[in-house]
Amino acid sequence: MRGPRVYLLLAGAAFRAEFQYRGNLFINIIGGLFYQGVGLAFIWAVLDRFGQVGGWGLGEIAFLYGMRLTAHGLWVLPGHQLIHVDEVVIEGEYDRYLVRPVSPLVQLLTRRVRLSSLGDLAGGSALLVIASASAPVDWSPGAVCFLLLAVVGGALVEGSLQLAASALVFRMKRVSPIKFAIDMIFSDFGNYPLKIFGPVAGFALTFVFPLAFVAYLPATVLMDRGEELAVPEWLAWGAPGIGVVLMYAAYRFWERQSRYYESSGH
Amino acid sequence: MSALMADAAAKQPVVTLLRAHLACARMEFRAALTYRTAYLSSFAMMLLQIWLLTVVWKALYDGREEVDGLGLTTMTAYATLTTLQYHLVSPWRSSPIDQRVREGKVAVDLLRPVGFPGQMLAGQLGWASAAVPVLLVALPFALLIGAGQAPASTAAGFAYPVALIGALLVNQLLGLLLGMVSFWTLEVSGALMAYRFVAQFFSGALVPLWFMPGPIRAAAEWLPFQATAYTPAAVYLGQVEGVGIAAALGVQLAWIAALGTLASFVWSRARRRVLSQGG
Repeated sequence: MRGPRVYLLLAGAAFRAEFQYRGNLFINIIGGLFYQGVGLAFIWAVLDRFGQVGGWGLGEIAFLYGMRLTAHGLWVLPGHQLIHVDEVVIEGEYDRYLVRPVSPLVQLLTRRVRLSSLGDLAGGSALLVIASASAPVDWSPGAVCFLLLAVVGGALVEGSLQLAASALVFRMKRVSPIKFAIDMIFSDFGNYPLKIFGPVAGFALTFVFPLAFVAYLPATVLMDRGEELAVPEWLAWGAPGIGVVLMYAAYRFWERQSRYYESSGH
Repeated sequence: MSALMADAAAKQPVVTLLRAHLACARMEFRAALTYRTAYLSSFAMMLLQIWLLTVVWKALYDGREEVDGLGLTTMTAYATLTTLQYHLVSPWRSSPIDQRVREGKVAVDLLRPVGFPGQMLAGQLGWASAAVPVLLVALPFALLIGAGQAPASTAAGFAYPVALIGALLVNQLLGLLLGMVSFWTLEVSGALMAYRFVAQFFSGALVPLWFMPGPIRAAAEWLPFQATAYTPAAVYLGQVEGVGIAAALGVQLAWIAALGTLASFVWSRARRRVLSQGG
């Protein structure tokens, strides 16, 4: 089990490096909170006037939002550096990874940490805890376990798409626009009950772009609203498993694509 | 003859100055177009956003024709219009100053025979205008996906471009002011992030002022941000009419004057603090 140990070692070093700038740390976390806050501010402001969207009230939407944001924070904290994959490959930093005795992916992920992701994680968890109290969920130990698994699964779903898109860099050289688009779809579309988008987009956002598995499906069954789903309930209960499967597939895809790496010649 | 020459000499600086500012604007315009994939994909995302907002507003209206006297079609047209406008007038990449200070390029800027704030403002406007060509291309698609409406009246049609220019100026002056903060502190990225989202929310680009909860609305009315998105859209859709249009444009003008004065004051302080990083 050398891999995880090396990862933790390198990630720890990246954290210590970032914690050198305390003032900046605080400001970055606040910045991260604001980034996600504007979407919530929009929903809060309109639901204050309209009461519900697609039959979901503020409490239910806040629960969905909290799940999505926590999953996002959980993924971005270790995975943020993938955003720099373009420059790492174009500027030949990847060459260095290849001559070191640690998996290149691990080296890429630990080159720095982005502390604003702590803001996402803290904000998401706080919102989730507060919203859980008012959301219509019967909090049995089983339900709590499912919630935790679903959040981890949601992080894996989002991470798998970002990892797969990053893997295209070995052939395409510039993938950041694709990754921004993915990020935007998760953060903008993920906060609404999927059924408001209609059957076609609903299908696409479940089976083509697996957004539904991040928060909507697990949140719906937790709140016992299973009858409004367009898919069988067992699929919603299986959302955490989907995350694991997708992440495994994305990792294999990354491994295969990385064979096409061409050094830019430094 | 000599009178003519003196006249020409007096005129020369104005023309040169104008050309110099235009050159600054052109540089930034080109820079904005350099990253074409990012530039084009931002428009695909804009269309997605328009679709999302249209669907969300439909779901919010939930079959009702009107809420607070506002029809769903007016609301979706508002969302479409503000999303389009947002690409021209957005608090993102408001000023190149912080980057130029960090990289020491500000030294070169200061050596140029044109005032620094003027250069930056011209550059910002050049950057923003890079959105115009693709906005024109995206317009028909935006109307197809979202919803369009003709200006509410002839007066609205004439007042809208004026209000849009006002919005652009208020936004860029705010960006200039914020950029000048980097003469005092180098690390502004976190603060900038917070600013952008406060600015976006209170501009009314997402929720129009008329649907904001009472106290939030009062705050939005007293902040300059509403002049950057809500004002032109409300004028266009006839939500402010007659004397209201004049009043809305007056408020914009007042903000331009106030922010312009503040910017020149801050600059008079900032220029003594310029510390080159030696890039």
